Amino acid sequence: MEDLWTVAVAVFQLWMFVVVFFITLPAMFGLSLGVTSVYIQILVKLLEWATIRIQRGRQEQPSVPAPLPNGIIERAEGSMEEEMEQLRRSRSLEGGEFALSDALYFCKKGLESIVDDQVTQRFSSEELASWNLLTRTNQNFRYISLRLTIFWGIGVFVRYCVLFPLRIALAIIGLSWLVIGTTLVGFLPENSVKYWLSEVVHLTCYRICARALSATIRYHNKENRPQKGGICVANHTTPIDVVILANDGCYAMVGQIHGGLMGVIQRSMVRSCPHVWFERSEMKDRHAVTSRLRAHVAAKTKLPILIFPEGTCINNTSVMMFKKGSFEIGGTIHPIAIKYDPRFGDAFWNSSKYNMVSYLLRTMTSWAVVVNVWYLPPMTIQDGEDAVQFANRVKSAVACRGGLLDLAWDGSLKRGKVKDAYKEEQQKMYSRVIVRQNGISATHTRRDDQS
Amino acid sequence: MGASQTRPEHNYDDLTDKSGFSQEQIKNLYQRFQQLSGNNEKISRDDLERIPALNNNPIRKQIITAFFDKRNQHQNDVGSLDEIGFEQFLMVMSHFRPVNSTATEEEKASVRKQKLRFLFNMHDTDNDGIITLDEYRTVVEELLSQSGAIETEVARAIADAAMLEVASTNVPHMAPDDFYEGITFEHFEQILKGIEMESRMYIRFLDMNTATMRCGKLSS
Repeated sequence: MEDLWTVAVAVFQLWMFVVVFFITLPAMFGLSLGVTSVYIQILVKLLEWATIRIQRGRQEQPSVPAPLPNGIIERAEGSMEEEMEQLRRSRSLEGGEFALSDALYFCKKGLESIVDDQVTQRFSSEELASWNLLTRTNQNFRYISLRLTIFWGIGVFVRYCVLFPLRIALAIIGLSWLVIGTTLVGFLPENSVKYWLSEVVHLTCYRICARALSATIRYHNKENRPQKGGICVANHTTPIDVVILANDGCYAMVGQIHGGLMGVIQRSMVRSCPHVWFERSEMKDRHAVTSRLRAHVAAKTKLPILIFPEGTCINNTSVMMFKKGSFEIGGTIHPIAIKYDPRFGDAFWNSSKYNMVSYLLRTMTSWAVVVNVWYLPPMTIQDGEDAVQFANRVKSAVACRGGLLDLAWDGSLKRGKVKDAYKEEQQKMYSRVIVRQNGISATHTRRDDQS
Repeated sequence: MGASQTRPEHNYDDLTDKSGFSQEQIKNLYQRFQQLSGNNEKISRDDLERIPALNNNPIRKQIITAFFDKRNQHQNDVGSLDEIGFEQFLMVMSHFRPVNSTATEEEKASVRKQKLRFLFNMHDTDNDGIITLDEYRTVVEELLSQSGAIETEVARAIADAAMLEVASTNVPHMAPDDFYEGITFEHFEQILKGIEMESRMYIRFLDMNTATMRCGKLSS
């Protein structure tokens, strides 16, 4: 019994030694031993082989359906006016007034929305075109071959028994270092040494956390990196976005104060670095938010602010409406596009399905997190443009760079219904069609014809 | 290795026969059903009302009611349901399936009749077999006047005029004192005779050959 105990202790010590000296310390200095990149390369080869195998298997068993990435129905591309024209032309009666057949157009459009719409699918995880050997993304894939199953089994073992304890250890080290480090730095007086030290602490801690996720981050266009006094906006997929971005620079974060572990972390972070945390009650008061942010931006020496204008997590296939609040502050906007590679794991946080802890556990037992970050050139509001148009312009730029779909819908539709103002739009358009077709105004009396 | 979600055992062959969709289309629709219902067994009106694109449609109420209308279930039943299961969802969808190009003339005629019946039911809310002036007015008002761009009076006038035209076309020798009850199903068919239902009222499903199977390459 004694021997077993000493052996276990020795193994544990050895393991901790490996973790600290081969992973944590190099991470803190931004160096890498190259293990992760080798791992990713092996994974890519494995997944490509698996894809080919599954494709072959699917040809042999035609009853296994493939997921359709572009939606399941084909939609007519015409506008309302064009389609109405066609409908009316095919009628033998005189066109020009309302006709029963007009209802057909709306009926069909309604059914199309029920079968497949652009918004509802953005709030659940993206369906992959091919399986990536994780059970959780297995939508439609059935048993194909023995070798595939063996690889899947090995994958489960590697992920849960080898990688997962490693990642948990790293995460604990990283987070405790963040709390302790920032608290210590907070005791120093306000001078340049303090700022430099706080940057060091934040950077090293986020690097350790990135290792805890086996994150491979590729930064593109580093010359566009945000400068002090600017505002950074990015598309939002998961809380991990913060870790990904903060690996390459220090930002002042904006967000709600939480309770529990997150609250402890937030409170200690704000001791060393001027982040902007809000109470829930203050979030509702937009003027208070805007004035605090304006004060922060005006002091040009402060760190750039990081904001996610969508307001909620979207599943990384599209970019939804950017709320105009962040674009009213003034100052230079530095857009950033973030795209996760879905082959290695699903980064999207579906907050209605999983809470924070289970989300983190799922992410830590995926293959890895591989992400591309593009820094876009800075943009400012132009003359004659209002905040909404500016926000849309930035959104298009982000969507274009990241290869995401640009949608005008509001991300808060995840939780609420459409505002009434939008509902009337279609009716207004249709009324215009009718009135125009009538030639003269619609009040032209047809009443004399009524009996 | 197998599906991570448990799927109830649907008799897909049975559904294929009844609804006319292929197995693959049924599976796609089932996934959509799951998405809309939040992984429940049944969909309620609220679930359909939550679709943002549908909210913009002027006749959304009629469309949603059509899903819960027992008349659209091919079973000669009347009344409405509170919730529908997947089979009933499919039955309503089947009104919009494309006509097989290999179908006989008879089959095409019967499919066309079914589609017309669906539209008719949407207008005829009290199920007396006739679209009365009131029911017709309701539809026109939904389509036009809720937006405030056209006033209720005008919308009503448009509805009345259209109804009059229908009356004069279908009952040409109506004496001035006769009361035109409403549009029966036969009249309805007559009015919409010229319109190609096959292309106007169907939803074309994409299938495997038209989708591109990527190897997961990232676009940058």
